[in-house]
Amino acid sequence: MWGLFFEPFQLGYMRRALAEVVILGVLGGVVGVHVLLRRLAFLTEVVQHTVFPGIAIAFALDQSLLAGALVAGIVAIILYTFGARRVDSNALMALLISTFFALGVVVVSRRTGYQSDLTALLFGRILSVDQRELLDTLVIGVVSVVLLVVLHKELVLRAFDPLGSEAMGYPTIALDLVVNVVVMLTVVAAVRAVGTVLVVAFIVTPAATARLLCRRITPMMIVAAALGALGGWLGLVVSYEGSIHHGWRLASGATIVLVLTAGFLLVAAGRAVAVRVRRPQMAMAPA
Amino acid sequence: MSPALVLDRVAAAYGREPVLEGVTGVVEPGVAVALIGPNGAGKTTLIKAILGLVPIVSGRIEVLGTTPEAARARVAYVPQAEALDPQFPVSVLQVVVMGRYRAIGWGRRPSRADKAAARAALDEVGLAQRAGDRFGVLSGGQRQRVLLARAVAQEARLLLLDEPFTGVDATTTDSVLTVLHRLRRAGVAVVMSTHDLSVAHLACDEACLINRHQVAFGPVEDALTPELLKATYGGAALLLDGGATVIAC
Repeated sequence: MWGLFFEPFQLGYMRRALAEVVILGVLGGVVGVHVLLRRLAFLTEVVQHTVFPGIAIAFALDQSLLAGALVAGIVAIILYTFGARRVDSNALMALLISTFFALGVVVVSRRTGYQSDLTALLFGRILSVDQRELLDTLVIGVVSVVLLVVLHKELVLRAFDPLGSEAMGYPTIALDLVVNVVVMLTVVAAVRAVGTVLVVAFIVTPAATARLLCRRITPMMIVAAALGALGGWLGLVVSYEGSIHHGWRLASGATIVLVLTAGFLLVAAGRAVAVRVRRPQMAMAPA
Repeated sequence: MSPALVLDRVAAAYGREPVLEGVTGVVEPGVAVALIGPNGAGKTTLIKAILGLVPIVSGRIEVLGTTPEAARARVAYVPQAEALDPQFPVSVLQVVVMGRYRAIGWGRRPSRADKAAARAALDEVGLAQRAGDRFGVLSGGQRQRVLLARAVAQEARLLLLDEPFTGVDATTTDSVLTVLHRLRRAGVAVVMSTHDLSVAHLACDEACLINRHQVAFGPVEDALTPELLKATYGGAALLLDGGATVIAC
């Protein structure tokens, strides 16, 4: 029975896929808590759409897709971080999404025979991750997590009391930029695994689940990281099992996202039940 | 010892829109000033200008003998409790420890001494037993006291408070008044915006009346006169029988 959970990973490509999703799960969980604290879930959407033209251009020029995504992501993040101080940030995000995505479509539509790569880009191709890409993800993950750990207290203060952190003399634009760049790096790293459409789930879902379970930020990050890694592992197991033994052809990236969502729903339902069970006791307790 | 705050014909603007002009006054260490004026008069703008967060278009602000930007670590700002998200997952103690962050420095965790200082500050506002609770579950007045405790933990020389008595309970008012009294005796200067004239009389030595420009700046008994309040608030200042003035806002 337990073999089910380990058998798929005797294959080299499945082992690499597992390593990739575990790193991404941990990274997404930690970053996701900051994203939720700052109510930046929509920014994650922005980045996932803005890296699209970067990848498309890099592909057209036969350059590294990661480099293309990074350049586009950096441009978008800089425009957002500085622009949000002057114009309404929601409007700015919508503008960035549509403009960058349109740019990507223009680049893509100039080429023919692009279909399969475009599908890979939109929905991910976790099973063909190679050593080199795995190393990229690891470097991005380590750099991002170290940044977040070192700047933890300043970033939490900035999220909790933006004006207060400015009043204390912190370089707030630099702190905002760090969070935005880390979100961008995480999206860029995760795009290969789950595609531009689903990447937001890696960041937001484990953190949202952890928020239901924890009252403090540090435990929340640890739980979100564990849930992200666990969801990635289970998702791979389910998609492998379904595709190999049952002929369901489950796309692995999308299956991981569904497993993460199932985890969220399970925890939310469990909490709702726990609250109901606790309530009658509270009613009986002396006032 | 240099004054805690020097305002010299200060004018501030958001973009091209002038918000405030002609503010002049000196606040010595240990002195409390009430910043009085109707909503939109520029009270918050003046506080932000003292913090160096709003650029001044003319005049000069000197804070603790230096520029507002350079003085920030020694200035504590106490926001209104409602300005902060009650859902945010931080404990009461963690909020108070935030006051120590500048002193702790980058990349380091709060030490035992920092936490002890935070607990002492919480004890002073009567909330020591709530240290482990989530900040958001406290009442508005209690949250206001936590933010004051954060400023106490910061050990600042100048304290800026934004409407600390608006919508709070009597316990909180008493607690805030007691803490401010102790800090002033220790030489801390205080600037607070308020609508509450009785609190201004109780807690402050001086008052600064503004409504886009400065109407008066001086000892409370000279500044809070019916005539000057009328000049500041217009029709909203009502003169009662017996000479008391109330603000209808």
